Amino acid sequence: MTARRLLPLVLALCLLLAGCGARENSAAFYAMSTYMTIRAWDADDALLRRAEETVAELEQRLSVTREDSELAVLNRTGTVRLSADGAALLRRALALCAATDGALDLSVYPVVRAWGFTTQDYRVPDAAELDALLARVDYTRVTLEDDGTVTVPAGMELDLGAVAKGWAGDRLAQLLRDGGVTSAILSLGGNVQTVGARPDGDAWNVAVRDPSGEGMLGVVRAADEAVVTSGGYERYFVDDAGVVRWHIMDPATGYPARSGLVSVTVVGAEGVVCDALSTALFVMGAERAEDYWRAHRDFECLLVTEDGALLLTPGLAARFTPADGLSYEVRVIADA
Amino acid sequence: MLKTKTWVAALVALAAVLAVLALALRHARAPGTVVEVVQDGVVLRTIDLARVTEAYSFTVTSADGGSNVVLVEPGRIRVSSADCPDQICVQRGWLSDQAAPVVCLPHRLALRLRGETAADAVAG
Repeated sequence: MTARRLLPLVLALCLLLAGCGARENSAAFYAMSTYMTIRAWDADDALLRRAEETVAELEQRLSVTREDSELAVLNRTGTVRLSADGAALLRRALALCAATDGALDLSVYPVVRAWGFTTQDYRVPDAAELDALLARVDYTRVTLEDDGTVTVPAGMELDLGAVAKGWAGDRLAQLLRDGGVTSAILSLGGNVQTVGARPDGDAWNVAVRDPSGEGMLGVVRAADEAVVTSGGYERYFVDDAGVVRWHIMDPATGYPARSGLVSVTVVGAEGVVCDALSTALFVMGAERAEDYWRAHRDFECLLVTEDGALLLTPGLAARFTPADGLSYEVRVIADA
Repeated sequence: MLKTKTWVAALVALAAVLAVLALALRHARAPGTVVEVVQDGVVLRTIDLARVTEAYSFTVTSADGGSNVVLVEPGRIRVSSADCPDQICVQRGWLSDQAAPVVCLPHRLALRLRGETAADAVAG
């Protein structure tokens, strides 16, 4: 009698303990010019191999620097029919360019190249050269048809670099979920993508790099979300006049964005949105970024200003822990 | 029948011990020396008291203009002065207990101890 009554309890305890034993598996590889790592619980080797192949396929199709990629063909000939994947990403990215009023512009690529960021052969283009290049920058002149055919005006070139890693994170998260994984964390060269929460049920602790050094600003707790940071410190050079020139371009001026921000972190459900917004908000500067957040509110962000302030949306402030001895002034962005 | 009962009892005992162990391990974070300075639910600063070598102080200003001066010394922290009406935070003295943070209710400020957290990944 007692034994029968206790049996369900025993089974429940066994299940509980089995849950504690989820097995960690991991993969690390280079893709999209970065180092990527995946830590997933209860994922077999085949699933992680599929993840690696998925990124390689995306890169093969969409990298602007691969001569045979769909994007390279577009930039050479002015038109191409994109794969379903490429078309979906481009459609999403163009919508984000419009939403950010051009603070993100996929067609700024010729300007980025003129500054030498594609080859690391850095130089400062003169005003006349930039004016000529800026005449070719305008995402609104890109046409994308329902069948995936994209056409750009003569001289325009597109680059999906500002959204590709975020998109890849979304794709990989979905691949892992479809494979039955409920707990995983992916690092795609500075983009963090999480699947579910940690195996112990707590949220993932995602540290955010301090733009002024090797340390961390603090830790953001995240679950089923992407955490993406854009910072001037990632890629830059110092010109002959001693001015720091970083890779994040202001599409309106053709110069590296000097908006008063040095780092922007965006937390949200979709990696592609976080990736696009981390760049766009950086270009906008604190004031416009705060307005953008108040108008949309479907993401959280952390802005670091040149003068040492750390601005957080209220929702992020509640799950952000500053690092020991952080010297920044922490401020919460006004709700209205 | 007795045999079954014994087995079940043994299994239950074993499972219970393992479950308690698992939970204990999960929550076994050192009481720690890390203090959070929290205002209105927002962590403004995190300070590891074990790494403080020289005393210093800083002022926290609340939304309505009130201020608390926080004094940090090697291994300990307190509110040293404040312009709040009740002065409870100042009278509390040094923060000593994880379960009892030093609180300034009028200014919605708290000093609290926490355990260590290690990051799972780094963005940026």
